[in-house]
Amino acid sequence: MSYAYLFKYIIIGDTGVGKSCLLLQFTDKRFQPVHDLTIGVEFGARMITIENKPIKLQIWDTAGQESFRSITRSYYRGAAGALLVYDITRRETFNHLASWLEDARQHANANMTVMLIGNKCDLSHRRAVSTEEGEQFAKEHGLIFMEASAKTAQNVEEAFISTAEKIYKKIQDGVIDISNESYGIKIGHETHTTSSGGRDGTSSQAGSCCS
Amino acid sequence: MFGTQSKRDLALELQAQFPILRPSIHARRANLTVKFQDLYGFTVEGNVDDVNVLNEVREKVRQQGRVWWALEASKGANWYLQPQFSSLSEGIALKSSLKFSALANAITLKKLIRKGIPPVLRPKVWFSLSGAAKKKSTVPESYYNDLTKAVEGKVTPATRQIDHDLPRTFPGHPWLDTPEGHAALRRVLVGYSFRDSDVGYCQGLNYVAALLLLVMKTEEDAFWMLAVLLENVLVSDCYTNNLSGCHVEQRVFKDLLAKKCPRNQNTGLQLIWKRWSLMSPLLLLSGSCVFFLKACLQRQLCGCGMSFSMRGQRFFFMQLWLYLR
Repeated sequence: MSYAYLFKYIIIGDTGVGKSCLLLQFTDKRFQPVHDLTIGVEFGARMITIENKPIKLQIWDTAGQESFRSITRSYYRGAAGALLVYDITRRETFNHLASWLEDARQHANANMTVMLIGNKCDLSHRRAVSTEEGEQFAKEHGLIFMEASAKTAQNVEEAFISTAEKIYKKIQDGVIDISNESYGIKIGHETHTTSSGGRDGTSSQAGSCCS
Repeated sequence: MFGTQSKRDLALELQAQFPILRPSIHARRANLTVKFQDLYGFTVEGNVDDVNVLNEVREKVRQQGRVWWALEASKGANWYLQPQFSSLSEGIALKSSLKFSALANAITLKKLIRKGIPPVLRPKVWFSLSGAAKKKSTVPESYYNDLTKAVEGKVTPATRQIDHDLPRTFPGHPWLDTPEGHAALRRVLVGYSFRDSDVGYCQGLNYVAALLLLVMKTEEDAFWMLAVLLENVLVSDCYTNNLSGCHVEQRVFKDLLAKKCPRNQNTGLQLIWKRWSLMSPLLLLSGSCVFFLKACLQRQLCGCGMSFSMRGQRFFFMQLWLYLR
């Protein structure tokens, strides 16, 4: 399928926080209570639309265990967005956020958009990290923040899409140089004919002419 | 074991017959997917033609198994362990003939293994040829039991992670995903994490151990197979805390690839490079061994698993090369 842009995402966070389940919910709209363990990296993709532009999200889902960090590190390069996930019912997954972020800052491009997600918010009776703490952490480190649940699908769509919106805005503002592949953005051939009423054709042609 | 298997086979045959009986055009038949359980209890999906092929394979495997059992029955359980004394019984002559027969046997064995080891014999053959039997024989008989008893109730980061991962190892499998299966898998993994604290527990080992449990039938043999895989067959440090072994493998394979097919030579080779760059970390990780055992068992390429445990890296690279092509 044709797209105007392709954004590369990476999902990171401790093991068992629900990274693969978030991805499954986003790409397949279903929830698997017991998901297979991820070894190394897995992969998913979905089309979304932002301001009438078809955008393909290519998502790399990584293994969370410490040993695998040496491998996941090579995936930060060339990622436009990162979803940093912790589990609101397990304090230690929140405590490790700083070290994940450090990894990301070291290995990713400086303009990577990071979204912090407190997953499993349906289990509020077992909550070990308050929403305020999550918000506070996000504010301190300049991240977007959301609590979500891969089980109920709450905020899952929103998390992926608002990250994409932020990236899209960075492109519009010229913060990101899209010709540089290390930013994790590819320009596609926008061949399909959407007679979009919202915007006039100028911006939608911009994508195709410079590729 | 045979009882349950034949029941399972029967169920499979019934399932498989269902779509075959329906008169439908070829194209539609190919689109019909059927779910069934393979030899090791995994649910596999395939179209009708796949099922028919698999059934044929299964029937052949069963026949082969029968031949082996008959051979064992006629020659006694460990017939292959006894040297074949020919009529020559003098000192030097005997020695050299023994050497010769050992060589001849090795060649025959290699040939046989390449054709595939019948599932019934896999526990025995894997165990003796991988070196697991030898490893086990160097320690007291009670080693495994003592080990599991000694580590019972101990909590380390490794055991915590293991507990977390037990339900996530092949969820839905008829045996592995039961309390009994979890307990067996846990003992093997925890036992190993104490045997080699450098490795401890690395995610991925759970899959390897689980598959070994399914093949080897006994927990202790699975433990020794795991030990021999990690300590002798694989590159060392494959599963230690930073997976350095995996990184080494990846580089070695890349260099080999560069040697065998220089870039920009032709489009076919470029395609291979493209695939490689996309998949390298994926493959080598789940790779090293999990990927293989899984694929081997499920596709019932009997020889695969064995060749792997016998020849390790070389075989792995060869298969990887085939896969990329």
